[in-house]
Amino acid sequence: MSEIQSSSKNLTRVKLTVDLVIFFAFLIAMDPRSSGIAVHEWLATAALAALIVHLLLSWDWIVQISRRFVGKVNLQTRINYILNWLLFIDGSVMMLSGFMISEAVFPSLGIKVPVNFAWRSLHDMTANLFLLLLGLHTALHWGWVVDTFKRYIFKPLGRLVSFRRRKDVTA
Amino acid sequence: MKTLGRILIILAVMSLVMGITYAAVNAGGSSSAAPQFQEGRRPPFREGQFEGGERHERGEGGGGWMFGLIKNVGVIAVLVTLIVLPKSIRRKRRRIAAAS
Repeated sequence: MSEIQSSSKNLTRVKLTVDLVIFFAFLIAMDPRSSGIAVHEWLATAALAALIVHLLLSWDWIVQISRRFVGKVNLQTRINYILNWLLFIDGSVMMLSGFMISEAVFPSLGIKVPVNFAWRSLHDMTANLFLLLLGLHTALHWGWVVDTFKRYIFKPLGRLVSFRRRKDVTA
Repeated sequence: MKTLGRILIILAVMSLVMGITYAAVNAGGSSSAAPQFQEGRRPPFREGQFEGGERHERGEGGGGWMFGLIKNVGVIAVLVTLIVLPKSIRRKRRRIAAAS
């Protein structure tokens, strides 16, 4: 196998891992009643780093489509690109509004923020919008999700099961 | 170096969005319209829901947290189904039409 193929395989594997971490972190953070406010805030803050890694891994695509956006790009890619920007903007606003109503992260760092009720409603609104946008984002990348799951999770698992069966038969 | 530059670009754009939002919320004058509280003390969002930074269960029993999680996964699953299913049906029809 060539070096390029191997590195692309590794990149896809890293992408899948990072995406799964973000997805499950978001699901846990989305429900502060179950996780507790401290877990909600720290997890969301840590997810910022994972989001940056996610963007870095897709950097080439972002640059490529940004350059070609005005020109010839198919409709799905265009929708995908706009949706990604909406996700980024909504995520940033959600993060800021979360910091502004922080009850765990900011107080533990000794940072005081002025009280403003607008931040809480903005946080709730952007969080709900984020869930919808995340659903659309997942739907638009569903083909990739299924392919990558098949290639890196189901196939190796299947191989492992068949190897064990063969081993049991020969034993 | 290249990665660091990209991280800085991402953070710069994020800061720009946050800055615009911050300015917009403060310019909205909602802070002056909201009731004022002693500095550093914030009232609970809903009466009795928070205490000492921790949230109480809302009397939903042990399954309350599961409901929230399932609801969120459900919303995503519905959206994925609504978009992916018609697409795959259309693709299948096109394949059948091309084959016949």
